[in-house]
Amino acid sequence: MGEKRRSTSKTLGKNKRRKGPHLPNSILKTIANEKRPLNSDEEDDEIDSDDAIVDLYEYEEGVPEEESRKNNRYDPVVNYNYELPEDFEDENVESDDDDEGGNSDNEEGEGDDVVRHTRMLQAVTGMPSAAFDGESKRKPVLFTEAYPESEFNPTRDVLEGKGLLTIDELMAPIEGKPGFNELEKRISRMQKDAQAVVHAPLPKPERERLERKAVKGLVDKEFNKWVHMVKRNREAPTVYFNQNVSLGYSTVGAIASEFQPRTDFEKKMASVLNDNELGEAHDEDGAKLLELNEVSVEDQIKYRDHIAKMRSLLFRHELKSKRIKKIKSKTYHRLKGKDLKKSAMGALMDPEMAKEEAMKQEARRVEERMTLKHKNTGKWAKRMISRGLNVKYDGTRAAISEQLQINATLSRKMNSTNDGSSSDESDDEEELNDGSDQDTPSKLIAKAREKTLKTVEDDEVPNSGLLSLPFMARAMKKKNEEAIEGGKRALEEYEEWENSGGEENPKKTAVVSGRRVFGATAKVEAPKESRKDSDNFYDNSDSDNDTEGIENNDLGAVRDTASPARNTGAITETEKFDDDVENPASKTTFDVALFASGSWKKMKGCQNAETKKKLKKHVPYSKGQDKKESRDDESEDSESEAEEMVDGILTSASKETYEIPSQAELIQRAFAGDDVVDEFEKEKQEVLNQEVPEPEKPVLVPGWGQWTNIQKKRGLPSWMVREHEDAKKKRTLDLKTRKDARLRHVIISEKVDKKVEKLHTTTLPFPYTSKEVFEHSMRMPIGPEFNPATIVGSLNRPEVVKRAGVIIKPLKFEEANPNEKVDDEHPRSNQKQNPKKGGKTGKGQSKGKSKQKTKA
Amino acid sequence: MKIKTLSRSVDEYTRERSQDLQRVFHNFDPSLRPMEKAVEYKRALTAAKLEKIFARPFVGAMDGHRDGVSCMAKNPNYLKGIFSASMDGDIRLWDISSRRTVCQFPGHQGAVRGLTVSTDGNVLVSCGTDCTVRLWKVPRPTLEDSSVSSENFIEPAAEYVWKNAFWAVDHQFEGDLFATAGAQLEIWNHNRASPVQSFQWGTDSVISVRFNPGEPDILATSASDRSITIYDLRMSSAARRIIMMTKTNSIAWNPMEPMNLTAANEDGSCYSFDGRKMDEAKCVHKDHVSAVMDIDFSPTGREFVTGSYDRSVRIFPYNGGHSREIYHTKRMQRVFCVKYSCDATYVLSGSDDTNLRLWKAKASEQLGVILPREQKKHEYNEAVKNRYKHLPEVKRIVRHRHLPKPIYKALGIIRTVNDSKRRKEDRRRAHSAPGTIVTKPLRQRRIIKEVE
Repeated sequence: MGEKRRSTSKTLGKNKRRKGPHLPNSILKTIANEKRPLNSDEEDDEIDSDDAIVDLYEYEEGVPEEESRKNNRYDPVVNYNYELPEDFEDENVESDDDDEGGNSDNEEGEGDDVVRHTRMLQAVTGMPSAAFDGESKRKPVLFTEAYPESEFNPTRDVLEGKGLLTIDELMAPIEGKPGFNELEKRISRMQKDAQAVVHAPLPKPERERLERKAVKGLVDKEFNKWVHMVKRNREAPTVYFNQNVSLGYSTVGAIASEFQPRTDFEKKMASVLNDNELGEAHDEDGAKLLELNEVSVEDQIKYRDHIAKMRSLLFRHELKSKRIKKIKSKTYHRLKGKDLKKSAMGALMDPEMAKEEAMKQEARRVEERMTLKHKNTGKWAKRMISRGLNVKYDGTRAAISEQLQINATLSRKMNSTNDGSSSDESDDEEELNDGSDQDTPSKLIAKAREKTLKTVEDDEVPNSGLLSLPFMARAMKKKNEEAIEGGKRALEEYEEWENSGGEENPKKTAVVSGRRVFGATAKVEAPKESRKDSDNFYDNSDSDNDTEGIENNDLGAVRDTASPARNTGAITETEKFDDDVENPASKTTFDVALFASGSWKKMKGCQNAETKKKLKKHVPYSKGQDKKESRDDESEDSESEAEEMVDGILTSASKETYEIPSQAELIQRAFAGDDVVDEFEKEKQEVLNQEVPEPEKPVLVPGWGQWTNIQKKRGLPSWMVREHEDAKKKRTLDLKTRKDARLRHVIISEKVDKKVEKLHTTTLPFPYTSKEVFEHSMRMPIGPEFNPATIVGSLNRPEVVKRAGVIIKPLKFEEANPNEKVDDEHPRSNQKQNPKKGGKTGKGQSKGKSKQKTKA
Repeated sequence: MKIKTLSRSVDEYTRERSQDLQRVFHNFDPSLRPMEKAVEYKRALTAAKLEKIFARPFVGAMDGHRDGVSCMAKNPNYLKGIFSASMDGDIRLWDISSRRTVCQFPGHQGAVRGLTVSTDGNVLVSCGTDCTVRLWKVPRPTLEDSSVSSENFIEPAAEYVWKNAFWAVDHQFEGDLFATAGAQLEIWNHNRASPVQSFQWGTDSVISVRFNPGEPDILATSASDRSITIYDLRMSSAARRIIMMTKTNSIAWNPMEPMNLTAANEDGSCYSFDGRKMDEAKCVHKDHVSAVMDIDFSPTGREFVTGSYDRSVRIFPYNGGHSREIYHTKRMQRVFCVKYSCDATYVLSGSDDTNLRLWKAKASEQLGVILPREQKKHEYNEAVKNRYKHLPEVKRIVRHRHLPKPIYKALGIIRTVNDSKRRKEDRRRAHSAPGTIVTKPLRQRRIIKEVE
């Protein structure tokens, strides 16, 4: 606009100079209008090119008033400071300028043209210009004046010389008049508004592009608002789609309330049910029923008390039974059981029945006693025992013992029935005591006394063998003294006991039975313990019982080495012993053997049972006549070694110059002959050969190339040799690159195990970024056997939880909740990584690590 | 002196209710169970094998059309209803559970190319090559549907004739607008005989249109000038457009991620785009060996199903490059349309052999009522298989699919072609100055440009 304005002012300036014939304005206007469409296209160009044109003639007439714009007929341009925007283009701006000013420009340009045209015509035709007057008549004078120029209507030049009329100038005359301020304000507002100028609409594609740009931004914003929800969904270890599903009616009442009677029957029922009278009747009746239901306070209290009593009784009973249950005494329980049985029997049966029962039992007892059917007196049992099959076979032994058991139970029943009938337990017990206790302990004690006396009397020390060693002798002496002392004391006690009548010594004569006898006698004979050697040496004809006791004592010395199971089979063994132990010499060796075996045990940490065996075996060895046989038996290394040791001790005992070898020496001697290092090297070589096999030597296939001598002369073909060389080189290289190539004492196998191979992944799986993370994710099992029931569900939960048959609606928008807690505690959350994120980064990494083996 | 005693509280092993399971006490000390990993690996292997054994995806076929099935529409409000239309102008409503036609909608003169149902499930919109848009009132589902086989016919509620043939139609989610694709994109209202809005960008015809389920005013179209365009109805203007190397046959928006859409392309791949950044695909889903004809997202948003011209249906994870599953039968021809059922349990495909086929979305899934313990067992099997899926043996079993011979061969050829291309590229790069040959990543390779 400003530019236009400028151009207008320029033309104005020109017009001042250019003076043509003064035509009436109306005529001029019509001319201008006619002329206009001819060359309205080039108007803009001409506007600019005007300056260059030199005017040929000047017309004295002044500028019309409207051109100078002093008469306010046209829109005033108030703002000269306006500037176009940077990107403003006006190349093909259509003429939207409808004010006359633009037209005036055109007219001016046209005027020039016309002039030139006439001149050209004159020049060409040589005719006077009047000839073309018809055209020149349409010469444009653009603006007409309402009034001729006069002193009342002066031109700008007249007034000011130069300078333009401004609004302020216009306003000046009315300053101070009423309404002036208002007008001024309006004008200033207009000035401001003038800045918002409507531009020409852009071309359509351009416009659309801009539109799309805006829409794009808006759509992106729309999409962006979903980001938090999408992110949450993606990161969630599990997405649930079956929430908030209403399955219709939830209660029977809800269903019933919807019920509508349809059939006649239903309608009838409904009419009855909804009948008012009926309802009232029911209400009244209901009240009556309530009255009937009433309970008196006394009754209630009584009932409550009764219940309380029963409860307390129950409680007391429970307590009592608990207390009774706690009692550990077997006797008590036995008696109690008996009582119970009796009472139960009594309660169940009348006395006659009880008597009958007793009779039956008695009969059975009698039968048992008569036949002795179960006392191993049968043919079979006898045969078994005579042949010793009961010892050999477990089954037989069990059967025999079972029979004995039956016998025992039957006899016990007899007792019980006896008790029940006669009730003279004390007598029975006394009898028992008389039968078993009285004779055996007293006899035993008497014998013990005799022995003690003997021991005390003879006090000899053997003068050969191990026992003749000075320290042994010393120890023996000391022991003997103690034993004698003890023996004397025992004798005194015995005399006291005899004096008092034998009966009054219950301490020593504790109830004993079966094999316990040995233990008891051992206790009694404890003081005589040391006497064993001397006693046995010189008492060749020991009575059976006595010897047994003593032997047991002997063994008691080595009891820590002997197994406790020995107690059971001890009798037979010791009996065998007795057979062997006949001369004092053999006895000595026996003891030595014991000692030796003890020491042996210390050295080797041998088993107890073994010691026992040895003990058995050394005895015959010590005997001259049995020597060879036993030698044959003892072919085993350890035992022969033990034997040597025994021998060594024995011999050293005789020589008295035995040097104990040092520890290192012993070890050296023990491991003499095995070269561990060499063996290992061999082994390693073997492994190497297996894993990196040596290349086969090239051989000529017989028959090939041998029909001439050429082949033989040449030897192997060169490629074969080369191949062989290469293989050899490769082998050496492989051997060098092995992990254990420089480690002399280590074999690291590099053999690939195919079975293990299938438990490895060849590459790092996709979402994982490091081997450690992957392995960590596989570390903990997820099964219900390995995890508490509370977390198994969450460990195994699938990524999507949905239910078949439930329609899943698309995502609904929710505002982001800033207080929302992200559940990090989920056990699988660290396993799963964001797949989208990983999709971009993870791929390259996993490719890069493709060489790496990852253990599953 | 400290005395150690055994103490057992009754509460620990007493059930609260008689229905409760007895508590079993385990010692979870791993040192007591050194073989747990081996045990789980074995279980994973077994689970993978069992999955293969129980993989029976085909549920049934729906026979009735007399021409190839061109399009389908699922009723968003009723699980059992599925609409299908064929090339001879026949439209049918099927009852999935009984796999029978409930009713027919006769009227179209030419092929029906587009079918859609309003969100409330009351109005069915169809359009086709006979230049008409027809609106039908969907019959309310009754109990007799499945029992009575009498086929009833329904008259169109409205019929609007327009200037050009139509290629596709889609209904707005929870609104009353629908869009048709033809010579241009047009937006219709149920009650107006002419479109309320129309969009044209370029001169090529639009071949598919899909509304965004999350943002009801945004829709995407694909045109025969190989472009994909996103429009916003509120602004009545397009927002973005990309030109690809090949035509996009169908588009599906992710219902759980409103900014993401996946395009089924003519080149046999699907491209997942972020609607905000279309110059590069987020993921390229390759596996089909021929043009992908149709695509539909699972309502869970985690996977989508595609039907292809290579006579197969595939299921892809939304972020995975390769398909999880391929379905095919001997008699199934070119697949023109696929749909995922509204409960994400079934997949439907309509093919050129005039049949609709119903498949399970998870081939080995157990249908019917599952007891909680059974469910737990299934979950455990799935979890353990998922954990050991990277190990070669499990992977082999899980990934193995039997392919029809043509597809298998085509895959081989494609592989060869790709290999040779890559080789050539490598050589070219090796023999030229470094940096002069730039290879675009796969995600951008098929996209020519984004139009401003």
